[in-house]
Amino acid sequence: MKRLIPLLITAIGGFVLIVAFFIPAWQASGETVAVWFDILASIAFILGGGNLLKVHLQHISDRRAGWGYSVVTLLAFLLTLWFGCCKTNAPPAPNTEYYGESFASLPLEALPEFSVAGTLPVRGDDKPLPASVRRQVRAEDGSLYFRGWMNPDQITELMSYQDSLEWQASVEELANTAQPPPELEGKVFYRADHGALAFRGMMREADRSALERLFAEHPAGTAAVAQLWEASRRETSVEIATAPPGLAIPDSQSEVVSLDGSRLSIRGPMSESLRRQLSIDWTHPERMRPFTADQTTALLKELTDSGLPMSPALEVAVNEELGKLWRPEALVLAINSAGIPAPEEKSASELFTEMRAGERNLQRLKPAGPAVQLNAAQIARIEAFAFDPAITVESLEEGLRQDGDWTGAQAAALGRFLSQQPTLAEFRRSLTQTLLRQARIEGVLLPRESIERLLADSRAQADWQRNVDVLFRAAHVVKFPWSGAYDAAGTPFGWIYEFIFQPLTATMFALLAFYVASAAFRAFRAKNAEAILLLGTAFIILLVQTPLGVWLTAWVPDSLSALRADELKRYIMSLFNTAGNRAIMIGIALGVVATSLKILLGIDRSYLGSGDD
Amino acid sequence: MIERLAQIDRRWIFLAMGLSIAIPVLLQMQFPEIPGSQSQAVFDAIEQLKPGDRVLMAWDYEPSTEGELGPMATAFARQCCEKGVRMYFVTLIPVGEKMIDKTIDNVLRADFPNLVEGVDYVNLGFKAGYEGVIKVIVTDLRKLYTTDANGTNIDLIPMCRDVQNIQQMKLIVNVSGSYPGSKEWVQYAATPYKINMVAGCTGVQSPLMYPYIPHQCQGLLGAIKGASEYETLVAEKYLSENPDPKYMEARRRMGPQLVAHLLMILLIVAGNVVYFAQRRSGGVAG
Repeated sequence: MKRLIPLLITAIGGFVLIVAFFIPAWQASGETVAVWFDILASIAFILGGGNLLKVHLQHISDRRAGWGYSVVTLLAFLLTLWFGCCKTNAPPAPNTEYYGESFASLPLEALPEFSVAGTLPVRGDDKPLPASVRRQVRAEDGSLYFRGWMNPDQITELMSYQDSLEWQASVEELANTAQPPPELEGKVFYRADHGALAFRGMMREADRSALERLFAEHPAGTAAVAQLWEASRRETSVEIATAPPGLAIPDSQSEVVSLDGSRLSIRGPMSESLRRQLSIDWTHPERMRPFTADQTTALLKELTDSGLPMSPALEVAVNEELGKLWRPEALVLAINSAGIPAPEEKSASELFTEMRAGERNLQRLKPAGPAVQLNAAQIARIEAFAFDPAITVESLEEGLRQDGDWTGAQAAALGRFLSQQPTLAEFRRSLTQTLLRQARIEGVLLPRESIERLLADSRAQADWQRNVDVLFRAAHVVKFPWSGAYDAAGTPFGWIYEFIFQPLTATMFALLAFYVASAAFRAFRAKNAEAILLLGTAFIILLVQTPLGVWLTAWVPDSLSALRADELKRYIMSLFNTAGNRAIMIGIALGVVATSLKILLGIDRSYLGSGDD
Repeated sequence: MIERLAQIDRRWIFLAMGLSIAIPVLLQMQFPEIPGSQSQAVFDAIEQLKPGDRVLMAWDYEPSTEGELGPMATAFARQCCEKGVRMYFVTLIPVGEKMIDKTIDNVLRADFPNLVEGVDYVNLGFKAGYEGVIKVIVTDLRKLYTTDANGTNIDLIPMCRDVQNIQQMKLIVNVSGSYPGSKEWVQYAATPYKINMVAGCTGVQSPLMYPYIPHQCQGLLGAIKGASEYETLVAEKYLSENPDPKYMEARRRMGPQLVAHLLMILLIVAGNVVYFAQRRSGGVAG
């Protein structure tokens, strides 16, 4: 029995794979067997681990020669296993943590159910509904039901379940219906996979009342709302040294984020967008604009005055860094591109209505409106803005609106373009790095005080961002501690990989060079004709694998180009090597066929072991 | 003299090899590279792709062979980014995921911040099963890959929604350091399903791959020499005169390779001189 079962598994698996390869109808069975192979292979890993423990513990117990190495092997194995399996110190996965949201457990049944007229489509392949909506969707008496609120991912998955317009129109209608009340839109969600009611940001009294009305008939829902109220209003604070001079918290967020002296506080969890706003946007940093010749001269003078030995090469480096700043043409292009309206896609319901009305040539896109391009006055205003720091972004936008046509998309493009430009602190840090790099090439040492002065703004910005990051982490309640990657940077497993595994494996491979060199001296001898052939081939390949080979034979005239080193290598590899390898491969393939058949038919059972144990 | 040479302690050979690598590294020796036909074939195969084409990037190598294969992986990623293709990263080797992360961090995120994960590239990560994985995903990707390496449902990744299997890939770009690797991708995916493929592999592997060229594998980069030639082609077309050092890694490594190979030739010659001298004096049986 002990040998019969493995034998049967091998034979059945092998024959199914062979049949699946030749008969397309059996292809799915082949895939299933291959998946089972993977599962069995995983079990083999466990057995392998057990065997490793057994062998090395025996070694240590018997104090055999080299038992110390067994101790090292076992320790390495157990430590890696522990850190890998326990995910020690691994940060939770961002895509499961829902930063900025508070969770409270709530059964799906407590949520309202929505319905529209429709039926589930019939699929030829019997594929079930997507897993993300399976528990929430049902069809009954010509109606489609959805329990809870449908999120964009669920809409996408449900729409792609079948590509008929009728189905997609029903899903669209159901998605529009299955949404939280308007006053809670964008604030409350139901995370069906986690069975949790989620609230984004800090809950206010009005939100609480709306939620309590929603779950008035469900005690579990009311309890969840109370829980969310507590969680979403929890106050978290950090002590900071100094706040950025330009920091201004918008009035709409003053209840959520506050700065009281050296105490930065937040109520509820911090979302990633709020973190970005608090780190950068609310500090209103100065964004870089292109430099005029005068500004460049002033910068060079400032650098010289700060004690930097500004050589011509360093000046070139500064100019190169300034050359990376945006140009007015780029901003004009970005705004003009945004002025070309993208054609809007029709909804499935619109298309379905058109189809039912008899339209045969359905057009998925609505006709786009006319393009709005900047006029000469607007372009001149942008050029003036680029080189005049006195013109603010607000006055620029106001002027552009007055000078001609101006759309919301263009205003958004302007804001996006400018927000992507480096801040003054970032520019100075980049400039410092360039100067240091150039100074290293020239062998010049730059004074530390000058460098520190250049980096001061950048350090202050980094300190503030670090404070915000600390607050972000402190305000977040980890929802799924085991969800992160075991090998994330900074985890013990990551350290083992980075500083032990990686250098050791690279070293082991590199040692080959030393042993091959020694072997080449001692064993590579021209003892007979075959060895001479091998030696000659090795010479050519060794030479051609370097630029020297090509260089040494570059003088050979074109009429004798076959004697050039690279051509010789090509002949050797594509003729002699390929011929030899093919012969070996065919031989191996025949051997594999014969051996496989013997194994599948149970004639060769050597792989099952001796059977003694 | 011959006797002393014959009895030379192997540690002197180790020292010579160490110096032959260390000195060119310290002197930053570099040589101009003339691309060969195989590197050109690899470059052309990727050049023919159109923006939006799907490319499977199979990174089947680990830290031990990273020195030889890392530079070509970087250059592959750079050219694919320049072409605007959609990149699907997979690996058949457990630590291959780290290699993918490195490529994504060093090339995609660092130099192409406009590329969006899930839209322009996706890291599907590692699956155990060696060539068994290829056999499954070549007909049904979802049977093994239900999520990407970050745990995101594959159906929620825009660039994966329409992908049923890897037969829909325009090209397989494989970087392979051992088993499973290029040979398995040729045998189980490229040949039976007629998917175009280019590969980069170690010097030890490359002779085994030549029988598949050019019909089953359109081009092959053999070891650091192949990487250096290919890197030159990518740099000439897409990079400035002074590219970022990460795009010159293969060319930088040709300096140590040249000196080390010359030392090898010298050692073989010296070994044979000793051998023939000893044979003449009757010291060694022929």
